[in-house]
Amino acid sequence: MSGLSVALLGFAIMLALMVLRAPIGFAMFLVGAVGYAYLSSPVALFGYMKTNAYHQFANYTLSVIPLFILMGALAERAGIAKALFKAAERALGGFRGGLAMAVIGACTAFGAICGSSVATTATFGRAALPELLKYKYDGGFATGTIAVGGTLGILIPPSVILVVYAITTEQNIAKLFQAALIPGLLAALFYCITIAIVVRRNPSLAPDAGAVVVDAAPQPWWPKVIGGLALAAVATQVVRGQLAWDNAAVFALLALLFMFVSADIMPAIMIAVVVVGGIYGGVFTPTEGAAVGAIAMLVVGIAQRSLGWSDIVAAIKQTAETSGMIFIILLGAEVFGAFLALSRLPSTAADWIGAAGYSPYIVLIAMLSFYILLGAVMDELAMILLTLPVFFPVIQALEFGGLTPDEVAIWFGILVLIVVGIGLTAPPIGMNVFVISSVAKGVPITATYRGVLPFLVADVIRLGLCVAFPALSLWLVRALN
Amino acid sequence: MLKRPTSGTPPDAWGNAPMSDVELPVEAGGSTTRSEPWLERVTGWIAIFGGLLALAVALLATTSVLMRWLFNAPIDGDFEFVKMATAVAVFAYLPYTQARRGNIMVDTFTGWLPERLRNLLDGFWDLAYAALMGYVAYCLIHGSLDAIKSGETTMQRQLVIWPSIALSTALCIVLALTSILTAVRIATRRRGDAS
Repeated sequence: MSGLSVALLGFAIMLALMVLRAPIGFAMFLVGAVGYAYLSSPVALFGYMKTNAYHQFANYTLSVIPLFILMGALAERAGIAKALFKAAERALGGFRGGLAMAVIGACTAFGAICGSSVATTATFGRAALPELLKYKYDGGFATGTIAVGGTLGILIPPSVILVVYAITTEQNIAKLFQAALIPGLLAALFYCITIAIVVRRNPSLAPDAGAVVVDAAPQPWWPKVIGGLALAAVATQVVRGQLAWDNAAVFALLALLFMFVSADIMPAIMIAVVVVGGIYGGVFTPTEGAAVGAIAMLVVGIAQRSLGWSDIVAAIKQTAETSGMIFIILLGAEVFGAFLALSRLPSTAADWIGAAGYSPYIVLIAMLSFYILLGAVMDELAMILLTLPVFFPVIQALEFGGLTPDEVAIWFGILVLIVVGIGLTAPPIGMNVFVISSVAKGVPITATYRGVLPFLVADVIRLGLCVAFPALSLWLVRALN
Repeated sequence: MLKRPTSGTPPDAWGNAPMSDVELPVEAGGSTTRSEPWLERVTGWIAIFGGLLALAVALLATTSVLMRWLFNAPIDGDFEFVKMATAVAVFAYLPYTQARRGNIMVDTFTGWLPERLRNLLDGFWDLAYAALMGYVAYCLIHGSLDAIKSGETTMQRQLVIWPSIALSTALCIVLALTSILTAVRIATRRRGDAS
């Protein structure tokens, strides 16, 4: 049998195993290992496996994943989501549909600390849903908004899915995080616009403007004075040439935050700015950023007495189970990828698509549509790990109007991320919808799907914009590098 | 339907019965605080060991970042500790993931089968997983022996590499054993058993 037919047979067997309830990571690992031994030899497989499992996990780049998961798990228990929602409520609660917008705003900020959409959804299901229902928001509209807001957990960097994409395609994590920011903020903006349109067309979904009573505690004066002094100090140092402008910008931003952000959400915002900003500015590697974030979250939680020993243990156990699940899939995908590389299927497919002369955009749209369909029945993480070994070389072989291959790789990563976000909320299987449904017992799951639908329209429009204008993803990357 | 089967169907944090069609992923929280069977407790302690190890290297990396930023004097080769500790931590997480049967599988096409048959299938895959991980552990034993013989060290700090490989190997054996136990547990589960 040729390598190609072995690879196709391998795919078929693997899918059959998955249909028969085999765990996804195991199925990839088993078929990959057997295929590898068949195409080379059992001795070669033994040589490959002697250190592969260890070296696959003893990987500096990969170590960012359990650390980001730990940071999110600690944030989840430190009561940060509730504080963020309260702050957003103070700012937006007065508008019609304002509480729904506050959910989106708070999820955006939480997304800069947490890299998982499921965790974000569950957290806000507890922190925000009771408030929305108390003010007589329509149940399906409220749960739909939280399910969609949860996707901001991965759309706003840091993002576990983007890290996996970066590692699989050997791209720079920091650049992908940079590229994700504008599309992520665009998502939040589009969701808020959607809310405004939906409540205008159907006023029964949300209470009248002004129905929400917000306790506007007066802001103390002293942070403004101290922040102002700090700003002045930074300015003098810059004028005297003692401080480089990039460091000055960071200090100025922190001082401004100190002046205008209320005290209860200050630690969360500071951690988000330091971690994401530090990775953007190249102050530290993504792994160091995740380590700093996890430690900072732990320190803040202990200092605020919101994290006790049992919370920390629970956060570690949650990190363990989630990381274990992800790393088995990563290991299986690595072995399966090695098998595919031996079979030469990826390069053959790339040559074939290249020779067929399809328009690059047709190929791209076909792939994204395929992801949306496959995402309806499959776990998104496994889906991208399974398909990228074949799809990515194909995309890299295509010409997209003057973009360099690296830029195409980053741009494609953002498009994949958007599609994954859609898969997490779209019927029939949207993981976020399941999660919010299990929190909100009173709201039928069909009502949640109805609530999600208008947001899916916004998602598709955003996907179209990001396909049509690669600059939305690439502008910040170019500006920062 | 995507499902992460667990060994029981615990009530959620509010005391409600879980949804029939999907088990809540652990990232959604709640279920980790219930009282657990002994296998989850034992593997849970191993996982906590891994988590504390991860926290320790996170603290090391944070210190290094601060030292580099403040005094321009980072901890030399800190990433080598991070790498080795991550491998051991992940291997320490895996038995707990397996004990809670947290690995993702597809439930869409077999949901109509009788529960007994589904349990037998799941038990069979757990056994197959145990065999595969046994093979990985067997390969890793040889990898560890190679590393001991060659005395391989890391580039920057000349840390001896074999202890972390050996520890990972031991944890991989624990994973295979855990998987055998979950296979027995799920295959012998009767209808309506709580765990």
